[in-house]
Amino acid sequence: MTQSATNLIPRLRDIVGDDGLLFNREELLVYECDGYTVEKKVPDVVVFPTSTEQVVAVVRLCNELNVPFIPRGAGTSLAGGTLPIGGGVMITLTRMKRILEVNVRDRYAVVEPGLVNVHLTNHLKETGYHYAPDPSSQGACTIGGNVATNSGGPHTLKYGVTVNHVLGVEAVLPDGSVVQFGGPCEDGPGFDLTGLFVGSEGTFGICTKVWVRLTRNPESYRTLLGVFETVTAATQAISAIIGAGIVPAALEMMDQGIIGALEAAFHFGFPLDAGAVLLIEVDGLEVAVEEEAVRIEAICLENGAREVRRARTQKERLLLWKCRKQAFGAIGRLSPSYCTQDGVVPRTKLPQILEFITDCGRRHDLKIVNVFHAGDGNIHPILLFDERNEDQVRRVLLASDEILSKCLDLGGSVTGEHGIGVEKISFMDKLFAPEDLAVMKSIRDVFNPDNRCSPGKMLPTAGGCGTEDHPHKNHPGRRAAM
Amino acid sequence: MPDSQSVFQPATQDDLAQFVTENATNARRCLLPIGGGTACRDAATDDAIEVRLDKLNRVIDYPARDMTITVEAGIRMAELAKILAAENQRLPIDVPHAEQATLGGVIATNWSGSRRFGCGTIRDYVIGISAIDASGKRFSAGGRVVKNVAGYDLCKLLVGSRGTLAIISQVTLKLRPMAETSALVTLTFDSLCQVDAVLNRLLTSATRPMVLDVLGRMGTLARPNEETGRSAHPPQLIVGFEGASRETDWQIETLLAECRPFEPRTTGSFVGAAAEPLWSMLRDFSIGSKSSVTFKASLPPSRTCEFLRLATETGIVAQAHAGNGIVNGHLPDRVSKAEQAFAAIKPLGDLVRSCGGHLSLLRAPSGWPALDVAADSWAESLAWAQRLKRQLDPHNLLNPGVMAFGPA
Repeated sequence: MTQSATNLIPRLRDIVGDDGLLFNREELLVYECDGYTVEKKVPDVVVFPTSTEQVVAVVRLCNELNVPFIPRGAGTSLAGGTLPIGGGVMITLTRMKRILEVNVRDRYAVVEPGLVNVHLTNHLKETGYHYAPDPSSQGACTIGGNVATNSGGPHTLKYGVTVNHVLGVEAVLPDGSVVQFGGPCEDGPGFDLTGLFVGSEGTFGICTKVWVRLTRNPESYRTLLGVFETVTAATQAISAIIGAGIVPAALEMMDQGIIGALEAAFHFGFPLDAGAVLLIEVDGLEVAVEEEAVRIEAICLENGAREVRRARTQKERLLLWKCRKQAFGAIGRLSPSYCTQDGVVPRTKLPQILEFITDCGRRHDLKIVNVFHAGDGNIHPILLFDERNEDQVRRVLLASDEILSKCLDLGGSVTGEHGIGVEKISFMDKLFAPEDLAVMKSIRDVFNPDNRCSPGKMLPTAGGCGTEDHPHKNHPGRRAAM
Repeated sequence: MPDSQSVFQPATQDDLAQFVTENATNARRCLLPIGGGTACRDAATDDAIEVRLDKLNRVIDYPARDMTITVEAGIRMAELAKILAAENQRLPIDVPHAEQATLGGVIATNWSGSRRFGCGTIRDYVIGISAIDASGKRFSAGGRVVKNVAGYDLCKLLVGSRGTLAIISQVTLKLRPMAETSALVTLTFDSLCQVDAVLNRLLTSATRPMVLDVLGRMGTLARPNEETGRSAHPPQLIVGFEGASRETDWQIETLLAECRPFEPRTTGSFVGAAAEPLWSMLRDFSIGSKSSVTFKASLPPSRTCEFLRLATETGIVAQAHAGNGIVNGHLPDRVSKAEQAFAAIKPLGDLVRSCGGHLSLLRAPSGWPALDVAADSWAESLAWAQRLKRQLDPHNLLNPGVMAFGPA
């Protein structure tokens, strides 16, 4: 721990109280990484503020003592966005979890950033409305974290990602000032700073309050499971469904590798010999969904589906979604560690990228399974490994880089919903020209001129990867891969 | 009209970048980017150069099966719609003067219409953008795929920035399939109070409207007829649906049943081609008046009818996108002086200010001072907007004075 961080502790205790901070090495271990476990670093201190005022006081203190600080929600992010580069103070917002207002008439709710995503929708149950973004981790992830990474989820195909559902944010900016961008009224004056703030991965400040849009619940659902012999046939069906002008609420693919793990975990009755299954949901009015479901069934069968099953009851539908959303949890049955990637390709390029992933796994002698948002072209290859095996880690990083590079070659992106974090920072100069990055940096400089807030994230620094202890430089696997 | 020396019309994005670079290094004259010229307000700047972007109108890439398109920003909205329609696709943003208006202009002004309730606004469709900053540097953000969180979302920053941060030169959009059919239902009521009650009821309607518009009529005409006690031009609620025919038919019927207890004076329903004139009227509302002063206000949806009541009392004809709390209003023709107009608007501004909203002029005679009324809660964000403007355009060359950064 640095000297300035040691001085911090008593003063932080004054702000957040005795039970509002952690600084013992063992306690800090929980905070050494998020869902991206390849790179780790413990913060010097973790604080748990319970109010905006406390966040302000912590940020001001960090500025006074020149200590970096970083916000964190539930730590479910998957790209190292909450890795505390340079140590410093981690501001964990999970105790700021109140629902401050629900206004159905004006279709918004105001929540604190630490509120767990699904708790909002549960709270809204009687209203006929819900909060639409539904990341697979919605049972754990926080809305503040969703704002930071502009999270998606299976139903974003029809409903859009977090930014499409955030009307405003209150934030503590890196200088310690509190600002409100947006709010309950649409089309405010000035620039759309809410839109700019969402997805800025904590580099513009710390979100302390969110105005979210509420969405009317669909009247009905039809949830289908298309069973295909091959991944190729399944991707052709996806292309045909979208090409037919149908926008399902969700269109997810799971390949054979993941089906086995899911079946072992949930006993749904997935066909273990299928090459791939498509989980397709249409929602809307009862008068319309049946017709759409019938059309989708026909398209699947025309494109080689062995069979198309339907969830017959709400219970069955929820179990299907549980399988899909907890797929990452089921990976534990396959390997001790995994690394999931988040590339995006134009939907029509799915066959090429999936073929490439299979080939890539073969070349690097890695098992890779796939469960992803096929309708958006947002792939999630899951690379299985044992993090104690340095050579495997090296191969995982190499294979990941190759897959993401291929996404770029196919006209896509390296992240659809997980964010750049630290994991994909080295891709930024492949995705963007120096002029693009210069403009982005000049915008960050307006809010975060000293780069003390979430340092080493999102934008590469000139000549390499940020501060001296940036994991890209120090991680053995990463070093070997470079 | 400016003389030819003060107009520049680039044929390519490179021409544009080169021109802006030269301007930034030499004369540093102010630049006024213009698309179709349908929605701009005068920038009160002498010696400025109008940069007309309508020649930057190429389609760069249209992979229709991916439902995205990349185009230059000067493409006319009607031309874009035609290209998309050939693939049974669309960009569901309602824009008047579509033959003239350009995509870049729609983005820069964050133009929206009646479908915003069901389809969102242009910010929800721009997934990639390229622009030329005041120094002439071309930069891009986003990409060409429908889901992408790499880098800061400069698409959002440029939507509604009114050409004050950079000149938008190229855009990638995500698209929607064309709806099989659309329908509009009209209902007139005796009072805006009733309309408000209906809007409240529709929050839990079994239908899923795409459009929730309210038309408030002129105050003078809206006064009750002395004999019948009823207004000759009562407020009208217009609800729109899209989807398969069976779906829209069912929704029309259901909506009418849901509204029956509120005793509408008249009802009408228009399906497919029969609804076209009404769609046009809704789309063209903001330009369909001889009035020289048109404003746009935003406020919480629940306050819309209260706002309309105040507006109609002043003789303002207004269209509200009631589900979103957006109101466009025309001042009466007789208002010709700025002081008159500002006095008429003042009670509306006070209401908007008291409930967290915003009011600004969309159209006003040249030479009028700007009017931008915003609630105090916007002050801090406007100050940060101004810092961003200074950072990206330190010499204030792009559309100076068009964006109000401080409360009026």
